[in-house]
Order: sequence, then C-alpha cells, then structure tokens
Amino acid sequence: MDNLILKVCTKVLFTPIILFGLYVQFHGDFGPGGGFQAGVIVAAAFILYAMVFSVEDCKVIMPPKLNFFLLALGAFIYGFVGIIGLILGDPYLSYDVLGSTKEAGQHIGILLVEFGVGLTVCNVMISLFYSFANFNFGKRNND
Amino acid sequence: MIGEIIINAFLVTLMLTIAIFIINTRKVISTILLTGTYSLVAALMFVSLDAVDVAFTEASVGAGISTILFLAALSYLPREEKEEKFNVKHIYAICTCTIIAGLLIWASYDLPLVGQLENPVHQNLAQDFIEGSRNHIGIPNVVTSILASYRGYDTFGETVVIYTAGIAVLVLLYDGVSKTSKIYKGKNK
Repeated sequence: MDNLILKVCTKVLFTPIILFGLYVQFHGDFGPGGGFQAGVIVAAAFILYAMVFSVEDCKVIMPPKLNFFLLALGAFIYGFVGIIGLILGDPYLSYDVLGSTKEAGQHIGILLVEFGVGLTVCNVMISLFYSFANFNFGKRNND
Repeated sequence: MIGEIIINAFLVTLMLTIAIFIINTRKVISTILLTGTYSLVAALMFVSLDAVDVAFTEASVGAGISTILFLAALSYLPREEKEEKFNVKHIYAICTCTIIAGLLIWASYDLPLVGQLENPVHQNLAQDFIEGSRNHIGIPNVVTSILASYRGYDTFGETVVIYTAGIAVLVLLYDGVSKTSKIYKGKNK
C-alpha cells in the first residue's frame, strides 16, 4: 500500500498501541483486562504494521523464528510456574509458595501466568496472519 | 430501570437488523465487516450486563482480530456467494430452525431473572471466590483471580489449545520456514 498518511499514522500509533497492550496486560489484576486481551492488542499493532507497509517489513521487526520461539515460550512459562510450585512442595499451579507471604506469592504467580498467556496469544495471532499473508502473495505471483 | 430497558431494546434491535443484513448480503466482504459490527454490538451488550472483562475480550477478539484474519483469508474465497433457488433443502432448514428456536424460547421461561441474589449461580462458590479474592489473594478484580488462580488449570488448558491451534495452522499453511531454514538447506545439499 502506498499511502503517506497511513504510513505516518501507523508509525505514530505503533508504540502507543503496544504500550496500551502492556497496560492491559499488567493492570489486569486491578481493572478489566488480562493476558488474552493484551496479547490480541499487541498482535494488532504488528498486523497493522504488516498491512500498511508489507509483510516482509513486518518480518524484519518480528522475525518468524522469534515469533515461533515466543509462541512456545508463553505456554512453557505457564506450565513452568506450576512446576515451580510442585518442586517447592505445593499442589500444581498453586502460587502460595512463590513469594514471602501467600498474597505476594499469588501476585507473582498470577502476573507470570498472565504474561505467558499474553505471549502465546500475541504470537499465535501474528503467526496466523503471517501464514495467511504468505499464501496470499505466493498466489498473486503465480497469476 | 427504564433507561436500561431502552438501551437493551436498542441493542437487541441493532443486532437483529445486522443479522438480517448478514443473511441478505451476497458479498463476502460485507458479511465479514457486518460480523465484526455484530461482535461490537455484542460487546456493548456485555457492558450493559456489567461483564466488562468479557466485553473487552469480545471487542478485541471478536470485532478486531477475527475480522482482520477473515479479511486476510478472503483471498482464498470467491468474492460473492452463489445465488441458490428456493428448494426442498430450504424447507428442511426452515423447519429445523423454527423448532429449535421454539424450544429455546420455551426453555428460556425457566431461566431465573438476571441479577437476582437468590439465583443458583450466586449460591454455591461465588461467595467464596469473592471473599477469597480479597482476603487470600488480595486482588480487586475477581475475574482475574478466578481465571489465573482458582481456575488455573482451565486457563492452562485454554492456553495450550490456542498454542495447538496456532501450530496446526502453521503446519498446514506456513511455507516460509522451509525455504529459509538452515536445516532444510542442509538436507538439500
């Protein structure tokens, strides 16, 4: 797409969108929001970039390899937080032992777990868009 | 109270109108955009039911990202739906829809009123969750404490489902990796 206004607007909006995503991610304990919503918002920033510039440009700032790694890392973080509790002598996914007090442990556990959810959702959305867009361009070149 | 009824009636009418437009339109792109609009109105409906977290998810996932993914997938699809003449299949479909809608409306008379204290949902675990969220976990948003702590297993399951779905789509559609990865090149040599 060759539109100067769209390009400039995207450049201006890209950072605030990610900042809003991080706010939704880490403020989920106190207001509406959490990992799922934040992941989608951050992914929307990257998809906007890919739509206005091109998918190849977006692959420079978010390489597919890093994307796949983070996609798996999110689910891993979630499972691993549970296993830490298991090692320290609590049931699986019970966060009481993670901090000095029970409340602090719960706060740390929920924050980490939500971060894992956000990471997975965000990268699944970006990789879905990559795979759709990739197929798309291959088809157009053949025509 | 009156205001709430007016707002709900307005939203339901809007959703019905959008649904009728979705049925009538033949162009795939208008269907996708109208579905996004429908999700947005549904999100407003959730706000009026005081379910802000659900509304947030509906607005971002239903109206935002799924519309974009549908648009990205549009190149696989034909631009317009085929026109089909009225035949026996439609009569079966009409009968099935009417019967199921009738059953659902009939069953809805047994549902308790929304927001009553004596409803079954508010009787069992909800009390413990609301008190535990304040005393044990110390988080003001009860939804987050249920999602991440009390029902951590479920959320883990959801995350793994999203992860699996993403991997499955990548396996089916993504052809960018095999061309660029070193492993593939090494095998070719």
